[in-house]
Formats: sequence, structure tokens, C-alpha cells
Amino acid sequence: MDLIRANRFTLEQLTEAYNETRNDYIVPMPMNVARFREYIYLYDIDLSASWVATRGDIIYGLGMLGIRSGRAWISRVGVLPWGRRQGIGRSIINKLLDSAGENSLDTIYLEVIAGNEPASQLFLTSGFQRTRELIVARRPPHSNHNLMELEEKPQIRELNRDQTLSLLEQRTGRPNWLNETDTFRKLSDLRGFSVQLPGGSQGWICYEVTFLQVTRTIVEVLEGDPVKVTRAALCALHERHPAQDAVLENLPGADPNWIGFSDIGYFEVFRRTEMVKVNS
Amino acid sequence: MKTIIYIEDSRANRILVDRVLESEGYRILQAPDGETGIRLAMSESADLILVDLGLPDIDGQTVVTLLQRMPNLQNKPIVALTAWPADTAFQLAERYGLAGCILKPIEVKRFPLQIAAYLKETTTSKKSI
Repeated sequence: MDLIRANRFTLEQLTEAYNETRNDYIVPMPMNVARFREYIYLYDIDLSASWVATRGDIIYGLGMLGIRSGRAWISRVGVLPWGRRQGIGRSIINKLLDSAGENSLDTIYLEVIAGNEPASQLFLTSGFQRTRELIVARRPPHSNHNLMELEEKPQIRELNRDQTLSLLEQRTGRPNWLNETDTFRKLSDLRGFSVQLPGGSQGWICYEVTFLQVTRTIVEVLEGDPVKVTRAALCALHERHPAQDAVLENLPGADPNWIGFSDIGYFEVFRRTEMVKVNS
Repeated sequence: MKTIIYIEDSRANRILVDRVLESEGYRILQAPDGETGIRLAMSESADLILVDLGLPDIDGQTVVTLLQRMPNLQNKPIVALTAWPADTAFQLAERYGLAGCILKPIEVKRFPLQIAAYLKETTTSKKSI
């Protein structure tokens, strides 16, 4: 078995191999080349620090490493069905950890689908520890009946891109890799607005909107009732974009804002378990 | 002859469904991704649409929301054909207003019966068959 840097392969080869690893996966998440390219860009995947396991001309597995200031993120690790139970997954993980070490990155994050015990065990025995669960949720566009009559009418103020990025930087909790400010800096159409309720509760929301979807939604409550602020922000968001399907990714399971999301029609589809390994 | 559009990225699954349903007298139009499926649905008159929820370009749920807005598909059943775990699959089907959901791998003998039942249902009747 050889481990070869992923930058020696074309995006077409990597995409095809990735999709093959996910054919029988617990949560189907295929990508085309355009989506794979966007994934690499948004999440700072370094293909020279990512690895592909091969034997001859055949790809058996792969794993990606994202690199940001002082920390790394392991992603898209997978082994093709005919290569499993041969230690290939562990070899890829070890190589990714070596790459993180070569780049002096002491903190390495990853996520695994909750319930994927073989993968969880692989990571736990590689020195990772569970940190928290993350919710992946959706809201179909015809959930408009859930846009409730708010008890308090909010005052909405538009935020420009710089203001939104500044607020993202000031978040109090640690965002998951997907939702770090580094990701949002790369979005071409980042939008946001602040919400102020008459009772004094206040916060802000940012998101990305496309022709079909509202994604990357972050709600931050600055003061007062988190559920009221979240409901008010989401009501305003979905009144603006009633036709879009909404995707919410990696909201911490213990986030008090979740109740506000579910009040507006979001429902949990699955959870990811976030893990971290810190090298001293 | 009833026409079915099948939106599915796995070539093996497309071949299997095509063989099973064509032998039952259906006309199957295949789309390997969401965009192709949407174009097919706009240009062809389909009696039923089968959608894989995990697609490589646009995810299947979002494809469904677009299909549901097409005037030519009003009252035509849209059915998920998916490898998601059963609980999640049925929840997604219900929340997204699908006619129903068939889990992969398909049961070859039962599959044509499931399709026939959905063709008899209206889109307002959401149930798993």
C-alpha cells in the first residue's frame, strides 16, 4: 500500500474516489467536481497535506487535511469497500496526523457521523476525544405556516459585509470548523442583519442565500432571551426568502438557540460528533 | 405507457431500476444529477418522479422543492428512493411533502408493486408503501 499526496491526483480522480468511499455510507453525501473544488476552497483543504492510499493504479482510500492558523481539520476520510478491514483507514489517519505535525499544528479537529461506531473507534484509538455533538437540520420552504405571529415586533437593521465579519469574529462560543469566520470570509454573498426586540433582547443573524437554498445561518444572541431573538431573526430571514430550502449545519447540540430554530420549522436530520486531538 | 423520471447518481442503481421497471412496461428517463433531473422534468411529461436524496450537485431535498413548484408536476407523485436510515428517510419524505419513500436496496419483486401503488395515489396522500 502506498500513500501519495492528494495534489498528485486530479480533482476528477479525487471526487470519484471520494464518492466510491461513500457509496454505502450511513449518510449519503456524494459530490461533483464543482462541489469538491468549493469544499477545498471554503474549508482550506491543503491537498499537499492530504493523502490517497493506492495499490498499483487502484485508489483504496483517501483523507483530507484542512489547515488554518495553528490548527488542522481532518475530513473526508474514507476507504473503498474492497479495501476495508486492512488497516488502510488507520494508515491514512496517521499520515494526516504526521502532516499536521510537520506543519506545527497541535490542535486537530474532525467530525464523525453520530452512530458511525467503527469510525468513532478508529479516531478514539488514534488519540482523539469527543468534544460535543453538532446538529444538522433542514427547513423546507413550505414551512411558512411556522412563521408565527411574534409577541414583540423586532427592529431590523441591515449589516454590511465588514460589520457581519466583525460580529462573526466576536462570537463568544467556539464555532465548528465549517462555521469559523475563515469560511465566511470566502463567501461572495454573505448577508446579515441585527435584531432588536422592544423588551431589550437583541442579536444578529448572518447567512448565505442562493437561488435554491439559505445556508450557513448563524444566529448570535447578544442580550436577553435566546429563543425570542432566534425566532425573530429567522422569521425575518424566511419572510425575505420564502422559496428557499434551508440547511443548518453543525449547530452545537446544547445551543439554546436550537429551540428557536425548531419553532420556525427546522428539524434535526442527523448529528455529527466533533472530536479533537491536542498534541502537547 | 407511464413515464417515470429517475434522478440517481449511481449508475448501478439506475441500471437496476431501469431493468426492473421497463420489464413491467414503464418508460424510464434517467438523470445522473439534480440539474439534469430538473431539466428532464421541465421538458418531459412524467407520471411519477423517483429522487435519490443524496445527489452530487444539488441535494435531493432541494431538488424536490423545485420540482414541487413546477406546474406540470402538480398532482404527480414524487417519491424518494434513498439509502438514508429508515427513520430519517421517512421523516424527510413527510416534511418535504413527498408522496412517500422507498428504501435502498430495493426489493426487486416488491418494487414494481410499490411504484404501481404510488401511481394510484394522489400527491396529497403521504404514506410509505
